Amino acid sequence: MSAAVGPYDSLQPTSRIASRFATRKNALRLLSLIVVFSVWEILGSSNPFFASHPLAILEAAQADLIPVVLPAFVTTIIALATGLAIATPIGVGIGFAMGRIRLMDVALTPYINAIYATPRIALIPVLVLWLGISFELRVTIVALGAVFPIIINTYAGSKHVDSELLDTGYSFTANSRQILRTIVMPSSLPFIFAGFRIGIGRGVSGVIVAEMTSALTGLGRIMIENAKYLQIAEVFVSIMVLGIFSLFLFEGVARVQQWLTPWGNTERLR
Amino acid sequence: MVNVNKAFATSGGKVLDDFNLKVRPGEFVSLIGPSGCGKTTALRIVAGLLSPSNGKVVVNGQDSLGPSRDKAIVFQHFNLFPWRTALDNVAYGLEIHGMKKKERHQIAREYLSLVGLSESEKQFPSQLSGGMRQRIGIARALAINPKLLLMDEPFGALDALTREYLQGQLARICEERNLTTLFVTHSIDEAIYLSDRVVVMGVKPGRIIEEFPISLRKPRAEYNFRAEPEYAKVREEIWELLEQQIRKTSEAVAV
Repeated sequence: MSAAVGPYDSLQPTSRIASRFATRKNALRLLSLIVVFSVWEILGSSNPFFASHPLAILEAAQADLIPVVLPAFVTTIIALATGLAIATPIGVGIGFAMGRIRLMDVALTPYINAIYATPRIALIPVLVLWLGISFELRVTIVALGAVFPIIINTYAGSKHVDSELLDTGYSFTANSRQILRTIVMPSSLPFIFAGFRIGIGRGVSGVIVAEMTSALTGLGRIMIENAKYLQIAEVFVSIMVLGIFSLFLFEGVARVQQWLTPWGNTERLR
Repeated sequence: MVNVNKAFATSGGKVLDDFNLKVRPGEFVSLIGPSGCGKTTALRIVAGLLSPSNGKVVVNGQDSLGPSRDKAIVFQHFNLFPWRTALDNVAYGLEIHGMKKKERHQIAREYLSLVGLSESEKQFPSQLSGGMRQRIGIARALAINPKLLLMDEPFGALDALTREYLQGQLARICEERNLTTLFVTHSIDEAIYLSDRVVVMGVKPGRIIEEFPISLRKPRAEYNFRAEPEYAKVREEIWELLEQQIRKTSEAVAV
């Protein structure tokens, strides 16, 4: 009984199987990538103005990527990051306040639900009047898109705390501030991350739409300009930059979550 | 020295009626009774997690309604914090009391080694077996050096062998440290093994119906106490009482 063998020590054979499986998964992904691009190349090259095709996109990328797309991308990312940096603490704060303080819950829930269901795009005309075609406008659109899923998930997380664990905290004479810090917050962390991931998605689409409708720079603007002149391959360069960026972004968020919640799940262990 | 006595009656559905129990310092008292007799309710009232509709809990001569630093509880389902390592789980109470990290870790290590888990201090509960988790639950309760240890069917969720092993460990720790313990259980055998006194509770309303002092020599792990005549006699008497109570519950359901 005193043998304290870490579970990972005993999992050697399983992890070897898992790594072999991962290799096969990667091979499969590479294969599917080759197939998709080949089919696209064959179909697309017969009608380059309609769908474009990978070789044309590659050519356009060589010409446009460094001088045009990357500076625009940087502008987009700065607006996105700023918006998320504003939305996250506000969303988490309001979510916890609503989850823990009944008055806040009762007072704010109708607004949150109403605004969450309203398309943010509908707000753009008003926001243009207030803020102009500016950096602030794009940041506001991102923050508005991201803040609500973060609020709603943080709220859900703070409501889903195991009551037995709360009792455990109380039995050790924890006050409400200690309960929040030692139980409610760690227990809610996976929920907050879920909200943050949805928030990122809404933030990305928000910044692109804002740039398309009311900005002079950014990836969204570039896409609109290229599309206007039927430069479909150039539009796809921007789309792919965005796609690859999203891929890395979500992988990064998953790693940060792994690092911040090394215990696995928040289910009470029996 | 420690002096625990409590008296309360709960009305409003009468979960508990006229429940009076004194636990002497250093004494190990078991509460045993059929489901629904209010033994867990009684324990939670003593712990301060529930309030009695009237009556009071007195620990060491002072009224003790609500949680306090001199009481610690071990839960049936362990209730470890999944986001804390074994060490930080054990140190939880001390952290809540405001003790500095270095100090509380040092104390937590002592208690981890008391329950034989020194080597698991960095592991999360999800990486440990049920028996190991409950040993951490016990270490967490003992780490605040409580005057009264409360245990709510602590071995109820464990398999039979682990349970037997942990009963032995608990008996040893309680004797070495002269702990005052109130222990809720379903198991007559467990109650007799560990206790100085077994309190049998009845249903409808939940109340104390009989008390049995257990004079079997300690430590009981060192000889076959189950072969003693006293064991068989007390076990039989407790079972008869409990059987009546269980029949009372099932008849009520049948009607």
